[in-house]
Amino acid sequence: MIEVVDVAKTFRVRGRRRDVLAIERITFDAADGRITGLLGPNGAGKTTTMRILATLVQPDAGRARVGGHDVVAEPRRARAALGVLSDARGLYTRLTAEENIGYFARLQRVDDADFRGRLRDLADVLELGPLLGRRVDGFSSGERMKVALARALVHDPQHLILDEPTTGLDVMSTRALRELLRRLRERGKCIVFSTHVMQEVEALCDNIVVVARGRVVAQGDVAALRQSSGAATLEDAFVALTAAPGDGGSAGAAHASPDSA
Amino acid sequence: MSPFATVLRKEIADASRDRRTWITALASALLFGPGIVLLIAAFVSDVETRSARREIVVAQRANGPTLVNFLERSGARIVEAPPDFAARIASGELRSAVVAIPADFEARLASGDPAPLQLVYDGTSNPARGTIEASARLLDGFARELALQRMLARGVAAPALSPLRVDRRDLASTRAHGVELLFIIPWAVLMIAAVAALPMAIDVGAGERERGSLEPLLTMPVDAIEIVAGKWLAVTVAAIVVESAMLAAYVVTLRLVSDDRLAALLQFGPREALTCLLVLVPFAAFMSALLMLVGTWGRTFREAQTYASQVVLIVNLVPLLRFFLDARDAAWQLAVPVLGQLVVMMRVLRGEAPGAAGILVPALICAGGTLACLAAQRRLLQSERIVFGRG
Repeated sequence: MIEVVDVAKTFRVRGRRRDVLAIERITFDAADGRITGLLGPNGAGKTTTMRILATLVQPDAGRARVGGHDVVAEPRRARAALGVLSDARGLYTRLTAEENIGYFARLQRVDDADFRGRLRDLADVLELGPLLGRRVDGFSSGERMKVALARALVHDPQHLILDEPTTGLDVMSTRALRELLRRLRERGKCIVFSTHVMQEVEALCDNIVVVARGRVVAQGDVAALRQSSGAATLEDAFVALTAAPGDGGSAGAAHASPDSA
Repeated sequence: MSPFATVLRKEIADASRDRRTWITALASALLFGPGIVLLIAAFVSDVETRSARREIVVAQRANGPTLVNFLERSGARIVEAPPDFAARIASGELRSAVVAIPADFEARLASGDPAPLQLVYDGTSNPARGTIEASARLLDGFARELALQRMLARGVAAPALSPLRVDRRDLASTRAHGVELLFIIPWAVLMIAAVAALPMAIDVGAGERERGSLEPLLTMPVDAIEIVAGKWLAVTVAAIVVESAMLAAYVVTLRLVSDDRLAALLQFGPREALTCLLVLVPFAAFMSALLMLVGTWGRTFREAQTYASQVVLIVNLVPLLRFFLDARDAAWQLAVPVLGQLVVMMRVLRGEAPGAAGILVPALICAGGTLACLAAQRRLLQSERIVFGRG
């Protein structure tokens, strides 16, 4: 389980008169065996939230836990329980795809025998087979995305944080990834992913956390969000919920759960 | 396998596939320093050969039969200068001093008046230096002979003409003289230690960030010091390999010097090379750590290169400054990185023992510097500015 409670974060930026408020206050839970979507406009605080969970950044207030491990007090245990696909997806171009994935598997202390088995499974699901023995230099963006994804999944983490995981993937690969995420959910994994693609949210998410201007403006499943905003589609609901006060939208911190529909 | 060993293994594998960088680094190590040593040896040999031949270039020799006679009796080989010798000296075509004999030379000699002669040369021409001294010595010899003859003709005893006899006693050994020429060795290996480490040091810091691979690395359940240490050791190993290649190339190159006297002057064998390597290993470790730290500090790859190149510039300048200031050995110099290594290697080149302090003090200073840089790098990797870049 991933828990985020009253997390806040401000960045001091040299040369600017005022600090940048990235997260004013965010609270949500992502349960095991569920896919939680983090939805919000650019600059809402999604990536910062994910970086806090990935222990790359420390919150100024509040707390965040991954698998019961506090990300500030026990960062290494939190990282061990986590698979992260951030927006930084660089690979080592002089190494092969297999070597790239293997490097991170070893850092996650996956032994060689387990690594072989997992690599085989990931190669099947992500259609990485023909790419494994090739150096990454010259890969397309979609191929690099697949390798980065495999890198995040190779140690079979209980918790997954994925930042726009389908960027650069073709249709078939996107469908394969969705299928993979569904299978992981059925295995009881806790999955949090951010996306701008409404279709993905509708297809995958059990719970959606809508973030805008550093705050959670709504939570719930698709039906609950539509109902709370009075919108016919998820996209309309998103626009209404994330509109700034005075833009004519309902930007209250609506928290709708499937049970209250 | 520990995270440290995993990182080390990956960095070495990654770097070993960067053939272009390796070829450039090894080519510099094998060609640059040893190449210059060969050129210096050839130049010295050429100058000495000319001096040994006692060759003197004379213009208008017909104007000075007395002088010509003396020169021939002294065993000098007289070469007639071309009519436009001054222009050829100025253009560099004629790389020798020329003794120009004016038309009234013999008349002035016979009358007892000072007989004018011109010794024409380009003082900035290195090849000409030996001929200037040799020509001047021959002319001094002629002047002494003339003076002796005139005094004897007046009944003055020969010893009265030489009231002073100066015995020269050079305390520097032959080998120590060779050190002036072999200065290039410590200078070049110190520079190559920094230059060899630079590309890899920047790549493992700023390069990771620019590539977008640093964030994934920092999400691993590994203490940052294990990542830092693994990368640092890989960079250090690369620097030591290149340094070793350069030192081996020097040993081989100097064996190619065929002139025996010159070979005695330029002594740098396997023992000297190994002693220098012992001094250079801690320095390479320190340079690797310092360049990695400086490289990680840069916001971009280009900025990191700029900072790191300043470090290389300092490493380059310190030995040159010491050489041109003709600074002598002092104990405090052992405690200054670059200077300490230079002092000890110059001792080795002079055939002196480096001494326990000479090995230990620079090594301990570099070890301390290495640990400080690695600790600072660890802190840097744990800071948000690394994730987000300096704002």
